[in-house]
Amino acid sequence: MQAKDALNYDYSVAKCFTYAAILFGIVGMLIGVVIAYQMAFPELNYLAGEYGTYSRLRPLHTSGVIFGFLLSGIFATWYYVGQRVLKVSMAESPFLMIVGKLHFWLYMILMTIAVVNLFMGIGTSKEYAELEWPLDILVVVVWVLWGFSIFGLVGIRREKTLYISMWYYIATFLGVAMLYLFNNMEVPTYFVAGMGKWYHSVSMYAGSNDAMVQWWYGHNAVAFVFTVPIIAMIYYFLPKESGQPVFSYKLSLLSFWGLMFVYLWAGGHHLIYSTVPDWVQTMGSIFSIVLILPSWGSAINMLLTMKGQWGQLKENPLVKFMVFASTFYMLSTLEGPIQSIKSVNALAHFTDWIPGHVHDGTLGWVGFMTMAALYHMAPRMYKRELYSKKLMESQFWIQTTGIVMYFSSMWIAGITQGMMWRATDQFGNLAYSFIDTVTVLIPYYALRATGGLLYLIGFFMFTYNMYKTMTASKAIESEPQNASPMAA
Amino acid sequence: MFHWLEKNPFFFAVGVFLVIAYAGIVTILPDFMESARPVTGTKPYTVLELAGRHVYIKDSCNACHSQLIRPFKSETDRYGMYSLSGEYAYDRPFLWGSKRTGPDLMRVGNYRTTDWHEYHMLDPISVVPGSIMPAYKHMFKNNADIETAYAEALTVKKVFNVPYDQADMPQLGTYDESKKAVMEQAAAIVADMKSTEVKEAFKRGEIKEIVALIAYLNSLK
Amino acid sequence: MNWLNDNVNALALLGAAAILILSIGVSLKYIKQMKTDKSTGELTKENWDGIGEYKNALPIGWALSFVGTIVWALWYFLAGYPLASYNKIGEYNEEVKSYNAQFEKKFANPDQATLMSMGEGVFLVQCAPCHGVTGDGMNGKAANFAKWGNEEAIVASILNGAKGSSYPLGEMPSGLLDAESAKAVAAYVMQEVSSVKKSKNPALVESGRALWATCAACHGEDGKGMDGSAPDLSTYGTAKFVANVLNMGKKGTIGNMPQFNDGRLTNIQKTAVGTYVSSLAK
Ligand code: HEC
Ligand code: HEC
Ligand code: HEC
Ligand code: HEM
Ligand code: HEM
Ligand SMILES: [Ca+2]
Ligand SMILES: [Ca+2]
Ligand SMILES: [Cu+2]
Repeated sequence: MQAKDALNYDYSVAKCFTYAAILFGIVGMLIGVVIAYQMAFPELNYLAGEYGTYSRLRPLHTSGVIFGFLLSGIFATWYYVGQRVLKVSMAESPFLMIVGKLHFWLYMILMTIAVVNLFMGIGTSKEYAELEWPLDILVVVVWVLWGFSIFGLVGIRREKTLYISMWYYIATFLGVAMLYLFNNMEVPTYFVAGMGKWYHSVSMYAGSNDAMVQWWYGHNAVAFVFTVPIIAMIYYFLPKESGQPVFSYKLSLLSFWGLMFVYLWAGGHHLIYSTVPDWVQTMGSIFSIVLILPSWGSAINMLLTMKGQWGQLKENPLVKFMVFASTFYMLSTLEGPIQSIKSVNALAHFTDWIPGHVHDGTLGWVGFMTMAALYHMAPRMYKRELYSKKLMESQFWIQTTGIVMYFSSMWIAGITQGMMWRATDQFGNLAYSFIDTVTVLIPYYALRATGGLLYLIGFFMFTYNMYKTMTASKAIESEPQNASPMAA
Repeated sequence: MFHWLEKNPFFFAVGVFLVIAYAGIVTILPDFMESARPVTGTKPYTVLELAGRHVYIKDSCNACHSQLIRPFKSETDRYGMYSLSGEYAYDRPFLWGSKRTGPDLMRVGNYRTTDWHEYHMLDPISVVPGSIMPAYKHMFKNNADIETAYAEALTVKKVFNVPYDQADMPQLGTYDESKKAVMEQAAAIVADMKSTEVKEAFKRGEIKEIVALIAYLNSLK
Repeated sequence: MNWLNDNVNALALLGAAAILILSIGVSLKYIKQMKTDKSTGELTKENWDGIGEYKNALPIGWALSFVGTIVWALWYFLAGYPLASYNKIGEYNEEVKSYNAQFEKKFANPDQATLMSMGEGVFLVQCAPCHGVTGDGMNGKAANFAKWGNEEAIVASILNGAKGSSYPLGEMPSGLLDAESAKAVAAYVMQEVSSVKKSKNPALVESGRALWATCAACHGEDGKGMDGSAPDLSTYGTAKFVANVLNMGKKGTIGNMPQFNDGRLTNIQKTAVGTYVSSLAK
């Protein structure tokens, strides 16, 4: 039975989240470009008074791209992929339709308040978990709704065996739920003391303990938001777009369970040479090395799926985006483990090499994969061909240039900075004042910002292409089985 | 076995959960730990310092500044003695940061002073030419939130037994008593400052954010 | 700079190279397969939305590396890593102790040039944020060393008083003498009391000596400060005086100067920076 004959998939929620992903992508990356330029040209801090300083904007950038752009992308693909690999339409269950819509609207409300809060400086300072307790509660509600959607759809599925992507979506759901809850254990102070701001809270954990919980969370937020759901995407969209069967079930299986098992142990690599016990640091370091393999397993599986398909890689920009994404996934999952080696971390920690690593992963892997997924979905959701292949090709090269500029400048900046902090003069005294180590980096900061700007321009091209696809492109009669139709 | 799990989503989910959950238990629980207890001499923050800490968090200074001195000679030469776990015993949340766009501040109270912070926060390049740190002029306008700081101090005292109101420890007392201590600590800082705006406001009984922030920075030793 | 003598630097560079070489190398290997190979294998019976799955075996290199790293991890954690015996702080203490011993030995009797050059280095790292890179005090934000440690500065202290280092005698009051007498006393202090032993106004020294009693009340007959009750003026304008400021700090009239007694500067470094700073006095 071909799904497309039997079923009318309902993409209304997927469409909503697609719009949200584009919106937050623009906002989050625009702010990214602004803060990147602020580091090169500090005068840019004063464009919006108190609300425009680097330090107010930085959490907005991270939250904007992670919880705005990325989560929306994940939800959009879930509401698309879920139905298809489970062979069941959301339209078959009014309940699931309501859950989906509620999920979307509550999420939008949450994100709007979150943006306002962060502009105002309301937050708890924990990286990637800045929100105060009232919003934490809303996060939980949104997450539970997503859970209903996943397990509801699974409950009424026709396809008995869960496809690989489903494994990863389920893991995302469970992982984030567990991590978020424990890292956000807070006591609202108003309810104990009866005064002060009602939304203020204080962490349940203190000092080194708090750091352990935070980086158990922080590292695995990377795992379960930047990695696991993106793998869910690539396992569906690459084979689907290319028409190639997945290279190896066994490799999928071992990579999945390996990743699940190993990832959680590696958080200690954020705390190397800190005051947490040495064995925790060492364990983080060791497991990070082991982690290369399950990470590379998925990437290799995808690259091998494309065996013999050089023609597609050349012809189809979507395949190009995805193959490139998995190579960048390999790069960043080798880079991370190497930065986890104690002696390397001694230099790399606290430097710009870390944001360099971050954006290898986020721009190359996460960004490319998410955009490719949304591109693939568009012709099927809007029943029109993709508006322009040429635009897509230029976007690819502009963004690739941007990524290369970003990471090469940050590698050089980070390593320079690390070496200068350590450097001594002929007497063995510190050779550089701190400000010396800042001013040398300005050219690299400018280069990075410009790389980021190129990436943002590419994202605008993506937005335009999607918009035209939705509104003005040629209609298609039947859904394409594989390669997405696109006008030259 | 695995194929069976893939057909039984409930058990699949349970399996995934077990695999990811127990790593957490093993890595986290043992460390609710001895070494995180306060070392002698570590005291909880006064209410004014806590208010300053809230300013630090509100403006995300931790986006650029760490508070963790690693045991390397290059760091102890620059910032002073390496950090000890127990020194953070009253830090909720911890503010180690993960990026040093600016220098570490763990012990900045040892080598910077009120008047210097005032120049620096108002206009960093006036003291450090080439600095890329933003100026924080709004801290000279906004009032510090003493009530919330007091609420937090009282909360941690009640809920986590943080030793306020004990011998040789900061005294909380009632809010009014606390407010008096806050004004006293603030007065010493305001006296060392130059800004007439801040001084005038203090005479009216207002404590600007900058005053609280400097109290906090000076307490970092 | 000997960048590569530092293990950490060398390893970081090596790591960066390894990341690039391995990632690009391995990706190219698979991209080559895209060009040359064909996808083959037996399909599993499932099919999801048109996506099939091969039953292909694990890539052998991958599988071996995975097993290899796991074995290595177990070995390292249980045997290779000195679970109980390693202590980073201990290592640090050893390292710093031996470094300091060596430093003390090497610079036990530094010559003037060494002190100046070492002092300048220390100054730029530790003092420049307040005193400015040139030591000019950045428009009155801290002491301007061109106007410090010389006769004019003594005159200023006499006229304006001095405070802030918490000497037992507390503050030195302002207006102890009129401007003329102050100049004379300053000449006396510079030539006779301080080890600088040179005055810009030698003609005034004797009238200054006659007025010295005013000062002797606190600084002592010999100007040595009566065992720390007030500053020892015999060191005025020298490295020793500066080192003393570093130990005591100064909550003065310009602003607050922090103490440097948290161990970040050794005595040799303090002497060095003091030598450098007093050389700025004009
Ligand atoms: C854009 C990054 C950035 C942000 C945000 C930032 N700083 Fe800085 N900070 C720097 C840099 C760079 C330096 C070093 C140059 C200088 O001294 O100005 C610095 C220096 C400092 C110093 C001097 C420390 C020393 O040892 O010299 C203090 C204190 C300080 N910052 C406090 C703060 C506080 C408080 C905030 C938040 C309200 C803050 N900073 C926000 C970048 C930043
Ligand atoms: C009442 C006691 C007293 C008298 C009288 C006194 N001094 Fe002082 N003097 C001090 C103290 C105390 C300090 C240290 C101030 C500080 O830095 O805390 C000081 C500091 C100084 C300094 C160092 C200023 C600096 O650069 O920090 C000089 C020079 C000096 N006195 C010279 C004199 C001379 C010359 C006279 C006589 C005309 C004099 N003093 C009289 C108590 C006194
Ligand atoms: C946080 C700022 C700050 C730093 C760092 C600092 N100073 Fe100062 N220093 C001051 C201020 C402010 C004064 C002026 C005090 C006054 O007289 O009002 C001062 C005064 C001095 C004086 C004159 C004291 C006197 O007796 O008049 C000397 C000498 C001095 N500093 C040396 C140093 C040296 C050497 C270093 C570095 C190792 C250093 N300072 C670091 C702020 C600083
Ligand atoms: C094998 C996989 C990986 C390992 C072992 C790893 C390891 C590391 C290490 C050691 C750090 C630096 C910690 C520090 O010194 O501050 C780090 C930071 C980071 N990594 Fe990775 N990484 C991996 C993959 C990824 C991927 C694929 C992404 C994103 C797509 C990513 C995103 C991040 C982020 C966002 C941070 C910054 C955390 C912070 O705020 O400090 N990592 N990682
Ligand atoms: C338009 C392109 C982008 C630019 C110019 C940009 C710029 C920046 C800058 C300047 C920082 C701060 C670095 C620092 O602290 O020194 C940052 C941090 C970060 N960005 Fe981006 N960014 C971009 C896109 C993205 C995207 C698409 C993502 C995620 C999907 C992302 C995720 C992050 C994360 C997680 C951090 C925190 C890293 C850390 O704490 O170490 N960024 N970005
Ligand atoms: Ca929270
Ligand atoms: Ca960070
Ligand atoms: Cu991590």
